[in-house]
Amino acid sequence: MTTLDDLRGEASEVAARGGRLAGRLWSRFFARLPRPHVARPRFVRPRLGTPGQLLLFIAFSVVLGAIAHIVSILAMPALAERNAYARLSELMDSNVLTLLPDPTPLEQTLPMTDPAFISAICLYDLSGAPLKVRVPATADYTSVSFYTSEALAFYALSDQAAGRVIELDLMTSKQKAALPEDEEITAADRLVIESPSREGIVAVRAFVRERGMRELVRRQLEAATCTPSN
Amino acid sequence: MRLLPLAFTLLIATILGLGVTWFSVTHSRGLDNVRVGSWEGWPRSGTSKADPYARAFVARSGELPLELADGLLFLATTDDAGNPLDGRCETRIVGVLPQARLWTLTVTDQDGNLIPNDAGRFGFTSAEVVYRDNGAIDVRLSPRARTGNWLPTGARPRLKVALRLYDAPFSFTSGADAAVLPRITREACL
Repeated sequence: MTTLDDLRGEASEVAARGGRLAGRLWSRFFARLPRPHVARPRFVRPRLGTPGQLLLFIAFSVVLGAIAHIVSILAMPALAERNAYARLSELMDSNVLTLLPDPTPLEQTLPMTDPAFISAICLYDLSGAPLKVRVPATADYTSVSFYTSEALAFYALSDQAAGRVIELDLMTSKQKAALPEDEEITAADRLVIESPSREGIVAVRAFVRERGMRELVRRQLEAATCTPSN
Repeated sequence: MRLLPLAFTLLIATILGLGVTWFSVTHSRGLDNVRVGSWEGWPRSGTSKADPYARAFVARSGELPLELADGLLFLATTDDAGNPLDGRCETRIVGVLPQARLWTLTVTDQDGNLIPNDAGRFGFTSAEVVYRDNGAIDVRLSPRARTGNWLPTGARPRLKVALRLYDAPFSFTSGADAAVLPRITREACL
């Protein structure tokens, strides 16, 4: 066994030495070859002369480009100026439930709004007090969704899950922790929702079964409120 | 003298990176999608579990996406054969819808704007549409008036059809649900 291993080692050493020798011969051979003389214009320096440099340039660009892409995607929510919160805050004050106009071909308050629904929006600001949301049931499907100011939903509830009147208390985790214990017991049927951010959006959507019922549902939804408690 | 190539590389890289970002927020609503036929849905894109691409899309577009507990949005921009939906053609949407408390089907142009028409009809709801005997729907998108469930397309070159299922008892979040949505076929072009 050992002799076999020795032989193998020797063979590889010889091969390596041969390779080195061949390489040296090769380069010497090329050094002796006459080089074609190319007259280059004096003032133009080739920036990406060799294929190696070009490859390096491409690799650099791709890596830096990927970094720029990732950073811009992650920064988009913070940098976007026309997000839903910004669009809505031009139309209404915070802590007031406001009915949105029906989407028309010419104008949509928010893009991709379902035209079969009537929507009401309340921009909330919990810095003063928790928010009370009260939505009486309308003629048909009604839902309440809660979004952060970056328009990411963190909670939604439909009338079927809530019963005749949807009543919710929205508060920050600090305000929830400050709730007196006995009150929590008496208000067992009250639904408390924790908001991950101080500011955000409450969207109330009511379905209009047939177009003739639009006015009725709109009037019913006008009774919905969102008010700071105490 | 090495400064110039470096600046050039940085410039190219920035253009490349921001270009891909622009493309992804205008052409995709997030990586976490579900495909059913030619319909595409993003069950988690509106929620706090959304991936960074969905977050970027929502921030840029200014939408308030549907929460999964509320509803689920499916979009189609092509028919089942892969042709883009053309408002100058007749397109049919035929099939049974998954169980849900209600659904709405809305036709918009490719930017998501409603298409103006004399009838003031932008879509159908589960309460308005006329069903076949087997419970399937048969909706026709056409630039000209048709009998039955007709949705005017205003001869827009590109259409987008939005199907929203509200209060659906199933979840598409796994992606493995073999939900069946209506098929979209092109009939004839003008």
